[in-house]
Amino acid sequence: MKSMLFRAAVSAGVVTVLAASPLFSQTTFHKFVAVGDSLIAGEEGNCLVERHQNRSWVKQVANQLGISDFQQPLISEKALSNPLTGQPCLGAVISGQTITVGAVSQMGTNQNAALSRAYDNLGFIGSPRIKDFVDLKVSVPGRSGTDNIAAVILRNFAGGPFEGRSAVDEANSLNPDLVGLWAGNNDVLGAATSAVAIDGVTLTPIGAFEAKYTEVLTGLAASGRTIVTFTIPDVAAIPFETTIPPVVVNPATRQPVLVGGQPVGLLGPRTTATCSTPPCPLPSGTLVTLPASSLLAQGIGIPTALGGTGLPLPDGGFTPPSTLNPGVLLYPEEVALIQQRTIDLNARIASISAANGAILIDVYTLFNEIKANGYEIGGITLTTSFLTGGLFSADGVHPSQMGYAIIADGVIQALNAAKGSHIERPDLAQALLTPNVPTISTAGEVDPSGGPYGFSLSMWKELLDSFGPEEGISVVFPVKAKRIPRLVHR
Amino acid sequence: MTGRSRVRFSETFVALALLFLVAAPAHPAGFSIFAQGAKASGMGLAFTAVADDPSAVFYNPAGLGFQKHFSALVGGSLLSKVKGEFEGANPYPGTSFGVEDQSKSTFYLPTFYAVLPLTSNVNFGVGVFSPYGLGFRWADGERFSGRFINQNVVVQTADVNPVLSLQVAPTLSVGVGADYRLSKVQLERNRAAVNPFTQSLVDVAHIKLTTDLQDNHGWGWNAGILWKPVPTFSLGASYRSKINVDYRGEGKFTQRLTGNPAFDAAVAAGLPQGKQKVSVSIDFPATVNLGAAINLPADFRLSLDADWTEWSSFDRLFIDFANTAIPDLLRPTNWKDVWAYRAGLEKKWKSFAVRAGYYKDRSPQPLADVGPILADADRNAYTLGLGYDTDRWGVDVSDIYIDFDHRDTRGHVNHDQFFGRYTEKANLVAFSFRVSF
Repeated sequence: MKSMLFRAAVSAGVVTVLAASPLFSQTTFHKFVAVGDSLIAGEEGNCLVERHQNRSWVKQVANQLGISDFQQPLISEKALSNPLTGQPCLGAVISGQTITVGAVSQMGTNQNAALSRAYDNLGFIGSPRIKDFVDLKVSVPGRSGTDNIAAVILRNFAGGPFEGRSAVDEANSLNPDLVGLWAGNNDVLGAATSAVAIDGVTLTPIGAFEAKYTEVLTGLAASGRTIVTFTIPDVAAIPFETTIPPVVVNPATRQPVLVGGQPVGLLGPRTTATCSTPPCPLPSGTLVTLPASSLLAQGIGIPTALGGTGLPLPDGGFTPPSTLNPGVLLYPEEVALIQQRTIDLNARIASISAANGAILIDVYTLFNEIKANGYEIGGITLTTSFLTGGLFSADGVHPSQMGYAIIADGVIQALNAAKGSHIERPDLAQALLTPNVPTISTAGEVDPSGGPYGFSLSMWKELLDSFGPEEGISVVFPVKAKRIPRLVHR
Repeated sequence: MTGRSRVRFSETFVALALLFLVAAPAHPAGFSIFAQGAKASGMGLAFTAVADDPSAVFYNPAGLGFQKHFSALVGGSLLSKVKGEFEGANPYPGTSFGVEDQSKSTFYLPTFYAVLPLTSNVNFGVGVFSPYGLGFRWADGERFSGRFINQNVVVQTADVNPVLSLQVAPTLSVGVGADYRLSKVQLERNRAAVNPFTQSLVDVAHIKLTTDLQDNHGWGWNAGILWKPVPTFSLGASYRSKINVDYRGEGKFTQRLTGNPAFDAAVAAGLPQGKQKVSVSIDFPATVNLGAAINLPADFRLSLDADWTEWSSFDRLFIDFANTAIPDLLRPTNWKDVWAYRAGLEKKWKSFAVRAGYYKDRSPQPLADVGPILADADRNAYTLGLGYDTDRWGVDVSDIYIDFDHRDTRGHVNHDQFFGRYTEKANLVAFSFRVSF
C-alpha cells in the first residue's frame, strides 16, 4: 500500500491540475526545456557530471517524450588529482571496516560547450536562488559559486554567446511547448546546510520570493505552452539533517550510548529549560548536520564522562554586515522557522502556478510521505536513509539516480493526468538495478577526519561552496576546514 | 484431546497426506481445485446433481445415499502448465527482462474415495483429496524480475473427509461429513538492498519460509442434499465450510554474497541468524454448489452446476515473524466471492460412456493483487471424457483444457507495483479406477 503513494498522490490531487483546457489539451510535446537549480540539472553526490546528467529526471522525461535532440551541457568526469582541479564527486568508500563517504572523482569540463543554441536543460548547480533565473543576465566567474557554474551552463558571461540573457530568456529562445520549472529550493536550503536560519540572509523573505517567482513564471508562460512547477521539499528532513541523532552514539554500532538506561544528549552552546550553564545537552528535536561527524570524531559535543572533550558543537550565526558562520546545529526553533518558511513559499508557488495555468507537482507532500513510509516497488523498499536508503546520493542533499527516476515517473504521471496524454512511464528497473559508478577508473579517497559518517569539514566546505553563498557574503567556518586535497590515498 | 494424542492423530494423517501432497498446482479460480474425479472432470465438473460414484464424498455427500454397494475409487490427475509467461512493462520491471517463464512441471494430484453401506439407507464414505493447491514457481528464480516478491510459492492441502449419508426417502438423500484438512505453505524470495558503492540494488539474501504438516491443520464440515423427484431428473446442493489453518513454521535467511567484503559484512551483521519462527494464517473459503441433471432421450444426460465460493474470506496474507526485528509481511488481497458455471453432457452405449463439458470460472483476485505470487485469471475450460462401467468395476479418463484470460496490470493500481502481462494455459488429465462389491 505504501508503494502506491505517488499514484495516490497523483489521483488525490497532490499533483494538482491548476488550470487546464480540455478543449485544447495537448497529448504530445515536441520541445521540452527545463529551468531551475541542481534538482533540474541532476546533481548527485556534490557534483554534476555526464554520468549524472544522463540520469537526470529532465533527461529521462525527454527520453520518454521521444525528443532526440535534447541538449545538455555535458560535464566530463575526471579521476581525482592532488590538488583537485574540479568540484569533487562524493560516493561511498571504505575507511577501515566502515562504509563512509569520500571523493571518488571530480568534475571536468563542458563537452558540449560549442552548441550554438541554448541548452534544453538549463538547470545549474551553484545554489541559484529564485531571483537568479531572471536577474543573472551576465555571469561573472569568480564572483560567486552561482556565477561560476552559470558561466558554464547559461554561457552568459561577458563576451559569451548568451551574454545579457537570463535562464528564462534562454528558455524562451528555444520556443518550447513544455517547460519544467523547479526553483526556490535554495531560498531555504542554505539555512539547512549552513545550520543558520536567518531571514534575509539564508532564508529568502516571502515578499521578495513571491515577486521573483511571479516574474520567473510569467516570464516563461506563453500561449500553447505547458509549464510544470514543483514545490520545495522539506529541507529539514533530508539525510544531511537527519542522519546524526542529537545523542551520543557508539561510532562502531551507531546505536545510542545509554547511561542509566537513557541516551545522553550531545552538547551544544545554548542554554535549555533544564540547563542554565552551557555547554548543555541538545534539546529534543535539534538537528545535527552531517559535518558534525568529523567534530564528534574529535570528541567535540561529547561529555567528558563519555570520553569526549566536553566542548559544545558549534552553532552557526551571522555577523553583520556580511559574515556567515556555519554551524552544525539546528535548534528546534530554527527547524520550525525553516519548515514554516518552506510552507509559506510553497503556498506562493501554488498560487502563482494556479494563476499562470501551470501543473503543480507537490514534491513537499510526496517527499514527506516517502520519508514516513518508504517507496515500494516490485518487492523493493527504498527509504531516505543516508547511503543505504537508495533515494539520496552521497552528499545527503541531492537525490540519487533512483530518486531522480522516481521524480521522472511522477512528472510523466502528472502530465498524463493533467493533459490526458499517454506518455510511457520510464523503466525504473534501469535506474534501480544499474550500477552508478564513475566512468573513469579511480580509487575512492578517504578523508580520515570524516568521523563515523565520513563527512569531513572539508566536504562540508565543498558542499557549501557549491551551494554558493550569496554574493557579498563571506563564510567563516567555526573550525578550520581544509580543502579536500588533504585526502590520503588508500 | 491432549496434546500428545493430537500429535499421534495428526501423524497418522501426515503419513497419509504426504502420499498425496506431491505437488500443488494453481487450477480453478483462486487456488481451489474442483477436479476431484475423472467422471466429473469429463462432464465439465457439473456433478452436484449427478454424484453417482464415490467421488460424491467431495461433490455432494448425499449422492452416497443412492449407492448400495461397497465401492472404492482410486484415481488422480496430471496437471500440466502448458504456458506460464510474464512480460514486464514500465515502470517496473520494464521491458528489458523480456518474456519470463514459470516452471512448467506436471503435477500429480491423487484421490481416493470409498463408500460402505452400513444399513439399507445409511452409508459411510470417506475421501482423501487435495481441494486447494497453489504452485507458482518462476523458472529462473535468481534472475526473475519479480524475485523480490516471489520466486516460488506453494500451498498444499490434503483433506480427509469422512461422511455419513442417509436416504430419507426413495427420492431423497442427505449427507453430512467432517473435513480434516492438513496443509503446508512455502514461500521463497530474494531480498534486495542498496549497495552504497554502486548506488544500485543487489540481491543480498534468499528467504525461504516453510511450514510443516504436523501442526498445520484445520477442521470443517460438509453437507449435501440430492433429490430425484422422477428417475430422469435430479436436483442437488452441497456445502463445504470455511476452514482456517494457522500455520507455524520457520524462515531461513541465506546471504547472497555481492563480492564486496565490506558491504557483505554489513549485510551479514543485519541478517537474521538461524531459523526464525514464523506464522501464517489462511482462511480457506466456504463453497456452495447447486446442480441439476436430466436424462435425455437416446441415453444422453445433461448436468448443470452453479458454484459459489466465498473467496472474500481470503482478504489478506499475513506472514508474522516472532522476531520483531524482522519486518512482517502484510499483503491485502481483498479477494471477492465468485460464481462458476458448468455444463456437462454424457452419452452412453451400454457400458461405455462418452462425456463432454464446459465451464467458466471467474477469478476472485482483483487486479491490484495480481503479481508474481499468483496471477489468477478468468478461464474457459473444455472437457472430454470416456468411461467404462460394470457392476464390479469401472474406469474413467478425462481431459480438461483450461484457457486462461490474460491478466494485465499495466496502467492499473497494483499492490506490488509490478506491471506487465501474465499468460497461462493448462491441461489436466484425470483418471480413476473403481471396484465394487
